[in-house]
Amino acid sequence: MGEARPNPRVWALALAVGVVLADSSIVVLALPDIYRDLDTTVFGVTWVLVSFNLVMALAAVPAAMVARRVGPGRAAAVGLAIFAGAGLACGLSDNLEALIVARSIQAIGGALAVTASLELLPIAVGSERRASVVWASAGATGAALGPALGGILTQLVSWQSIFLIQVPVALIAAAPILAIARDEMSTRVLEREVSRPTGRPHLWANVALAMVSAAIAAALFLLVLLLIEGWLLSPIGAALVVSVMPLAALVGSRIGGWVADARARAAAGALLLAGGLGGLALLPKATVWLTVPPQILIGIGLSLVLSALTETALAGRSPQAIHGGWTISSRHAGVVIGLLALTPVFTHDIAVQQKNAINSGTSVILDSPVRPLVKIGLAEKISEHLEAQDGKVPNLGHVFDPLPEDEGERAEVVEMREELQDQLNAGATHAFSPSFAIAALIALLALLPIGLARRIEL
Amino acid sequence: MTRGRILVVAALIAAVALVGIYAAAGGASYEPVKVQNPCKPRPPAETSGGLEGVAEEITLSALDGAACRLGVTRERLARALASTSAREKFAKEFHIDDERLAKAIRAGLVRAVTDAEERGKIPGVFAGPLRSLVEDIPLEEGIKLIQGGKDLFSSAESFLGPLGDLLNEFLP
Repeated sequence: MGEARPNPRVWALALAVGVVLADSSIVVLALPDIYRDLDTTVFGVTWVLVSFNLVMALAAVPAAMVARRVGPGRAAAVGLAIFAGAGLACGLSDNLEALIVARSIQAIGGALAVTASLELLPIAVGSERRASVVWASAGATGAALGPALGGILTQLVSWQSIFLIQVPVALIAAAPILAIARDEMSTRVLEREVSRPTGRPHLWANVALAMVSAAIAAALFLLVLLLIEGWLLSPIGAALVVSVMPLAALVGSRIGGWVADARARAAAGALLLAGGLGGLALLPKATVWLTVPPQILIGIGLSLVLSALTETALAGRSPQAIHGGWTISSRHAGVVIGLLALTPVFTHDIAVQQKNAINSGTSVILDSPVRPLVKIGLAEKISEHLEAQDGKVPNLGHVFDPLPEDEGERAEVVEMREELQDQLNAGATHAFSPSFAIAALIALLALLPIGLARRIEL
Repeated sequence: MTRGRILVVAALIAAVALVGIYAAAGGASYEPVKVQNPCKPRPPAETSGGLEGVAEEITLSALDGAACRLGVTRERLARALASTSAREKFAKEFHIDDERLAKAIRAGLVRAVTDAEERGKIPGVFAGPLRSLVEDIPLEEGIKLIQGGKDLFSSAESFLGPLGDLLNEFLP
């Protein structure tokens, strides 16, 4: 990538790929706000994320075929226009159904833009190999940056703004691509490309991509949920915390540049991903800085493994758009499978830990040396508060306000509050542990198809 | 060793080290505070002493007794008794009607008074009338007693008449 001379077309195509693939995860930090604003269920709001990824998974290969047929320049421009228009509709949605439909349309436009971009990049950068590196890096950077950007926009402006901001970004990317669409060269490339036979997709690289994508989706989605719903950070606070991952991904792309062997990069990436997720499953305390080392491993790992597997899936295969479509399809199918498989696990674990935390909290109150009437008052407040929580991880901190006026009693209540808060934090943290552990296992299991990727070529 | 192998070995070391350090630091040993079986004897609660302390001990003991009889935890029952809506939710969740709840609370209160008597917290002369008081107590009154343990003695005082004035004198 370092050898490529920056030119507007390369930047525009990388931006198009980045903005579309960031959209896969950008909405993660906005989900709690969407959940409240649109008055929906946890399962319903998950579909804001799932619908985009599912449609991307289904539409990527057909979109690549369309791009080859109508011309990649035109397909990319039309795709970005659809993506921008649907983004506008997402931002203006006032109910969940409209938002999910708009997200699905956005995914169709995104699939067209991303796969067509891969067909255009070789012309812009001079070689198919370099094009696949630029394309894969842009995708990995977009996916890693998404949650942090989404969190900042959600808190500073609104959840709607994360979709509305995509409109000008997509149009900026579309401007140089429109020039390509008008270029006669596109037509000549099209004629040459359409005549090329389509080879089989690289099975093991795509299977591995699906598996690591499931693990990455879990890492992003679960960590954000833990930070916001478990540890009660603001969206911008959570965005700052998870920005460690894209920063580490940048380091990962530099490390990747020193190693030519794609299988080694993929294996190292999967190991780091598994280690990072394992670390999140074993957080010793509910402290933000303890998430930093696992995030560094995950960020470096995702950059190494996504780029290496995408390059492997594309290497020596043509047409690039179709095989790129398969990688997009595999990645997003992995995200959908990861989310759908892990959502019931962590929602169940949250419910169990919530019950444990409530019982532990009540036990702490009943066994404390505080006056009976104060205890009963607290129990009543806690009971009312829990009824209003509706399945979320409870925060009982403000239940203790106002503190008793008597100094001794106040000290006892403060001690009780701290003990109770520790119980809740530990419960919330460990509610996510089994899901992180499953995701770590999926990342480890991806080593199998990575190992098979070179031995068995399909 | 090739760069590829160095990268894989370094990744393996980093992953194992992180997981190992976090597990050793206590990440694998979390257990929520265990809620005790209400049917098993519990060590005397840390109370404020005096009338209020004895009342609280009886309240907690009564909660244990009632919870044991209903087959729920003391903590769940305490939350259920905190408000009418919480009680309705509890009744629906555990299929416990008011009659069964009243019986359990009465039994819990009787057990609590007996326990307090056995521990020497209430003189025997007051334990008998107190037991009689709670044996037929209506549900709402029973809940009120558990909610504000001190009322137990107010009721006892009115029930006992002038003898009630001596209650505070005899309490340890």
